[in-house]
Formats: sequence, C-alpha cells, structure tokens
Amino acid sequence: MYVAVKGGERAINNAHRLLAEQRRGNKDIAEIETDQIEQQLSLSVTRVMAEGSLYDRDLAALAIKQARGDLIEAIFLMRAYRTTLPRFAFSKPIKTAEMDVSRRISATFKDLPGGQILGPTFDYTHRLLDFTLMANDEDPAEAPSGENPVDEHMPRVLDDILNYEGLIQDEPTPVDENAPVADLTREPIKFPAGRDLRLQNLSRGDEGFVLALGYSTQRGYANSHAFVGEIRYGTVSVEIEPEELGFAIDIGDIELTECETVNKFKGSKTKLPQFTRGYGLVFGQNERKSISMALVDRAMRANEMGEQIMGPAQDSEFVMEHSDNVQSTGFVEHIKLPHYVDFQGELELVRRMRAEVEARLSKRDADEAKSQSKAAE
Amino acid sequence: MTLQPQTSNLLPGFEHAAFDSNAVFRVLLDAMSRPGRIYDLPINITAPDGLNTSATAALLAMADMDTTVWLSPTCATNLATTHLKFHCGSPITPDVSQADFAVARSDEDLSFIAQLPVGTAEYPDQSATLILMVDDITDGPNMRLRGPGIKDTHSLDIKGLPVAFHTWRTENHHLFPCGVDVIFASSTKIAALSRTTRIEVK
Amino acid sequence: MEQTVNNPADNTSAYNFAYLDEQTKRMIRRTLLKAVAIPGYQVPFAGREMPMPYGWGTGGVQVTAAVIGPKDTLKVIDQGADDTTNAVSIRQFFAKTANVATTEKTAEASIIQTRHRIPEKELREDQVLVYQVPIPEPLRFLEPRETETRKMHALEEYGLMHVKLYEDIARHGHIATTYAYPVMVDDRYVMDPSPTPKFDNPKMHNMAALQLFGAGREKRIYALPPYTKVKSLDFEDHPFEVQSWDDECGMCGARDSYLDEVILDDKGNRMFVCSDTDYCSERQDAGHRGQQHHDQPLGGPKSSPSSEKAAE
Repeated sequence: MYVAVKGGERAINNAHRLLAEQRRGNKDIAEIETDQIEQQLSLSVTRVMAEGSLYDRDLAALAIKQARGDLIEAIFLMRAYRTTLPRFAFSKPIKTAEMDVSRRISATFKDLPGGQILGPTFDYTHRLLDFTLMANDEDPAEAPSGENPVDEHMPRVLDDILNYEGLIQDEPTPVDENAPVADLTREPIKFPAGRDLRLQNLSRGDEGFVLALGYSTQRGYANSHAFVGEIRYGTVSVEIEPEELGFAIDIGDIELTECETVNKFKGSKTKLPQFTRGYGLVFGQNERKSISMALVDRAMRANEMGEQIMGPAQDSEFVMEHSDNVQSTGFVEHIKLPHYVDFQGELELVRRMRAEVEARLSKRDADEAKSQSKAAE
Repeated sequence: MTLQPQTSNLLPGFEHAAFDSNAVFRVLLDAMSRPGRIYDLPINITAPDGLNTSATAALLAMADMDTTVWLSPTCATNLATTHLKFHCGSPITPDVSQADFAVARSDEDLSFIAQLPVGTAEYPDQSATLILMVDDITDGPNMRLRGPGIKDTHSLDIKGLPVAFHTWRTENHHLFPCGVDVIFASSTKIAALSRTTRIEVK
Repeated sequence: MEQTVNNPADNTSAYNFAYLDEQTKRMIRRTLLKAVAIPGYQVPFAGREMPMPYGWGTGGVQVTAAVIGPKDTLKVIDQGADDTTNAVSIRQFFAKTANVATTEKTAEASIIQTRHRIPEKELREDQVLVYQVPIPEPLRFLEPRETETRKMHALEEYGLMHVKLYEDIARHGHIATTYAYPVMVDDRYVMDPSPTPKFDNPKMHNMAALQLFGAGREKRIYALPPYTKVKSLDFEDHPFEVQSWDDECGMCGARDSYLDEVILDDKGNRMFVCSDTDYCSERQDAGHRGQQHHDQPLGGPKSSPSSEKAAE
C-alpha cells in the first residue's frame, strides 16, 4: 500500500533540534563563548565581517558559533541580518593614508620613508604544529614595542613615491567627496560595471574564489604582471557628516588591510610609459584576500587599458556574477530540493524516445530479414 | 533616524505605514495589470494643497528617497513639496527629464509629457510614471482599450482629457517596449494605462 | 525554534510586517509596476538577502512579501504539493512574519507562491500567482553573457532560440525541452516560465489571475498581466504539445492532471499520483477513486491541522 511521504512541520522542527544538539557537541566540554571566538578566532571573525559586509565583531562571533564554524554559513547569517538594518548615513571616504599602521611592507623598495614594519604575520613562522596550544597552557610573553613611534603620516608608495615621478597612473581621490558611489546592495548590477561596483563586489566576494582568480592571472590567464607596491594593515577612523550638523563626526575605528599593486607599464612611442595599478581593500587583517583582490581588480581593467581579454579574471561579468558565496552556495545546494516534477518530464521524454528508437531498430531488422530471405529465394 | 521638524501646518501621512501603503500599492498593481479598470482609493488620507487624495496616496506608497518627483506648476505648491519631502524623502526636481514620477493636472499645459524619460531598448523600465490628476473617472464609452490585462475590451472615460494627451499617447504606445505608464487619479478613484494598452478614442 | 531570528533577544515582532522594511518593499513594488507594464521583460531589481538561501525561493518570497497584506490568504506549493519541506518552511515564514492566514486549498488562496507547478484548478481574477524563478533568462544557456542576452531581447533577436529548438528536432525527432519551456509573451518578449513542466504552459495563456515571477539571486522580476497572450515556441511542422500519461492517478483516478511517478519497489513496480495535492484530495473528497486507493487518508491534505499528519 502506498503512503505518501509528508514533509511536515514536525520533521523540520525536529531536524532543527538535532542541528542544535550537534552544534553544542558533548556537553561535558565547556560551551564556547562568543567573546572567545571574537578574541581568539579573530581572522575568522574578520572574514565573516568582510564577506558579510557588516563590521560588527560580536555579531560575526555569534554567527560563527551558530554556524558551527562554517564560515560561509556565518557570512550568510550576517548578510541576512544586515539586510534588515535601516541605513542612517553614508560615511565620508575613509583615509587609509592616515591609517594607524600595525604592519606595512613594500616589495618594490628595499627601504622607504616610514620604513618596513613587519607587524603580526604568519609569513615567517615555520608551519610546525605547536602542541603547547593543545595543552592549553599558553602564556605568550608580551611582544616588545618598537623604539621609535610609527610615522603618523606614512607616505603611500604608489601615490606619494612613485607618482612623484609620474611613473604610475594618476588616480586622484575623487575631487567631490560627496559624489555618489555605486552600491550593489541597493541597486541591481548593470554591465559594464564601473570600478566602484567591481571593487565592492570583490571586497565582499568569496576569498577562495578571488584567490583562485588572482592566482590564474599569475599563470597566464591575463597578463598584468604585479608587484606589491604596498600592503598596510591597521585601523582607520570612520566619519559621517549628518545633514543637520554640517560637519563630520568620528563614529569609530575599523581594521583594514589595503594592498596596492604596481603592474606592467603601458605607453607608446609618443606617450610616456607608466606603471598601472590594482587595488585591494578588506576588513580585518587579510593579506591573501587584499592581494588577490588587487590582482583581479587590475585584470578587470583590461578594457580600460585596451588589453586583449584572455582569461576569466579579466571578464568582469564572469567575475562579478560568480564571486558571491552566499549566492553560489544557495544555488549549488538548491539542487537537493525536490525536482521530481521536472524529472518526471525528462523521464517521460526519455522513455518515449527510447521506445521510438527501439521501434525504428526493430523495423529495420525486420526489413533486413525480409530482404535477406527475398535474396535467398 | 527620524526627523521631527514639527511644521505646524504639516499634514499627516499614512496612519499605518505598512498596511496603508500595501493597500494603495495593491490598487495600483491591480490597476496597472488591468488597464482601464476603475478602482476606489482604499484608504482615507488628507491631501496637501496642489495634490488630490489619490495622487497623494500613490506618491506616499511608491515614492521615497530613491525616486525623483517632478511636480507641474499647479501641483508644486509649498505645501505639496513640503509634504512629499517630509513623508517620502523624495528629491523634487524642476527637470522633467529626470522624473521617476511626474504629477500634473489634466487641465493644464501637458507639453512637458514629451520630455518624460521613456527608458532604453535594453532597459525600458528606466522610464517615468505619469500621475495625472483628473476630475472624474468613469467607464463611459469614450475610450475603448485593448491589450494585455484586458479580457476583451475595457471602456474608460476621463473627464476633460485633452486631445494633446491622446496624440502623445499614440506616439508613446509606438515606442514599446519603451514608454511612459499613466495613473489617472481622481479624488476617490484610480485607473491606469499601461504602455501596452491600445486605445481607440470614440 | 526561531529559525528566522538570529538574535535570541529579539523576537519576530522586531521585524517589519512581512519581514522586509518598507523601503525595500517600495523598491520591489515599483519594479512590479514596471513588470506588469512590460509583460515578459525582466526588470532588474536590487534583491535583498533573505533569511533563506538563494535558490530556495528568495525571489518569490520577496515578491510575496511586497504584495501580501493583512487580509490575504497564502498558499505555498513546491512541486505542486503543500507539504513539501520547502513549501512548509516558506508558509511558516509568512505565517510568522506577516501573521496572515494560510491555506492548502487553491480556491481559498488570494496569493499562491509556487515552485515548479501551476495549480490544476483554474485561477480567478482575484488571485495572484507568484513563481520562484532560478534562472530568469530564457537565452542564458545559449548565451551566458547578460550584456549579450539583453541586447538580443532589445533587438527581438530570437533566432538562436529557434535554432536550438530545431536542432533538438533534427537530433531527437522532438523538441527535447520538457520543463522551463520558453514562451513568447504578447508577440514581443521570449520569457522563461520558470521550471514548470511544459504541461503547465497552456495555463499561462490568458490566465485570469495576475502572474508574478521573482528571481532573487539573479535579481530580476517579471510579470504576466491577466489575459495576456502566452505562446509556447514551436514550429508549424512540429507544433507544441504537452506531456500525457498512459496511466491515471492511483489515488483519485484523474487523467487530466500532471502525474508524479512513485517507485513502489526495486522490481520496476510504480504508480502515478497527482503532483497537485489539493486537486487530488479535492477529487478524493468528491468520491473519485484511483486503483491504489484504500480509503485511507493519504495522498492529500484531507484533514487538518497539517502538522498532525507529518510522518518523519
């Protein structure tokens, strides 16, 4: 006897209960606290803020806890929360030139005004598992402070040093600070998209996707040979200018990593050759993402630079339509939803076509047999 | 962030923002989906001098800081402008070619309508909607309408609609998929003409 | 368990009526007015993240949220059924965030949100059908670039689509598209009907109800006003035809509805049942019986409340 399977609210509710139970894990182990996540898994927190497009460390920590450490799920939670928030104001453009720098390096000059500041980095750690962390008796000695204070106005390699000689394309900050900037969360994307929209898309794009595309540009799927002119990581203040006040007020600091790449030059017999540039900017300390972003930004400027498009990273429609991991994970995973109505249509068609081919083949066999027996007569 | 500049002569907007705007929108959606069918304004609302109630309700339901509104000379009273700025937050433009919503009375100079944005072949949605305030809307036999949304024909009579309107409307219809959609707003009734609607004037 | 609420300190009343804020609703509503004014044209809109994943009906949910009012009665179906998990989840979402009445009866609903089916029962003028759309662009699998497909729609350049369909005929003897079968709207725009089986295409033509289509991830909304000409693409020598079954519904005996195949064992035994659960149970209530019917409450939502029937 046939009994239809019912989805049912009870099944869903019980599935949610089981999920919560699995998230908690063994109750003999202390529950993780969101401030522990916020402090000790800080790079997860900043990734969730960056791709979730919402700078709130506590909410990001909560999202990570709720998502059982699945960062794309946590990013989705952040996005779904963000979308319900009213928009009070737009900030003034932030000034990364005035960043309170924790780390700043340039690969293009051995030494430079402001100096190379190594700061906190995995770069030169030996990737050996540190079993003292497993024993939970970590007590790191405090890192010593430098002897000299960090330059408050650290010159930027591209704008202040290379551009001084006119060696790099000039990209003045907008003359009008209040000029509108595109926002893909408020307006639908139209192609060709401006650079503001492309950069926003990359900044919230999936780290793995942007990394892979950036990598592809280094392997010949674009030709925009890049040097890291400068990476700086630190905090900058965010200002808004409420209509009723008429002057800007500081509403807080955010952590950012900025990467500017110096790319292959262009010029001609009559035009002075100049280096070109790529730009990356993300929340938190994330050099992998900011460098990748700068590579892809530069690659996507192919049209503007009159370059031949030879790789996916140069195709801004391809990049922008596939960079968002909340969109891609939803659509990739949606094929586990029931599709039996569509499948039924295909089943019916395939059966019909098979029957037609079989009928044709058996008729052919019969005809052949007939003509053979005729020939034999 | 709520601004509260308590202008003494400021009229109230919707009583219940979510429900009233939904009710007005549903009428507009029905009206645009069934061109020429006449609907009652579903809520009570006070109109500022220069606008009538249906036009006010339509703007409060549909316009906000993301839409630019153009008001004809007779509509652009101080009260109307203040009302829309306060309740909708819409920028009011003097340039009709920038309008997302244009508001006028049917008995004034309608020469501006030729300058309303009609969209582009690739984005025909980037066009203006004309809200035309009229004295009365009936299903009299003056206009016979056909097209999507209309089972056989709809009859529509807009009191005092000038010939210039029909001349423009015929040209506008030929621009399809580009074009301007029209909402007729009397003090109590609403009807619409989609750009797809074919009109036979008796 | 509050799945739509992230902050346990909050409750659903912290969200606006029907979840979306009024500004977002206005943006969607303006898009909807353009969509009905240009039937079959895909209007771009700034789709928002919703608390359910992209690909799971966020476009339909946004359209419903913008349209639904306190007096509406909502029905949600997935694959024609009210009791599929995602339909249950979306129905719960609106019951919670908009506090609207919900129903499983097609006739009682003022708004029907659907994934992959059009109800068998003829819809009325006072009803709105909201489709969830995954890929709104009917030309997408022929041309992946939006810049190109938009140009093709602008120029009414649909030759590629006809070539594709004709290649099917040359290869298979049939147009090998069984769902998401493209239609021409009011002799102007080629439109994707969403992945409904082509069986449902004729229902779209001159439908009395308003049909709205929402694609959340792709950020497009389109519409068919009532009584709009909708023609499935075909050729004179290969006219459009819908699926048909040699079998009837095992539960209600219907021969005119879309049937789902149910596998009964691993020996090739199978039966067919109506995909539209309301249609099937209504027929059973009226005394119709199929061969597999055992006079048990099965196959359709006969009794209420639905939660009592849930088998896990």
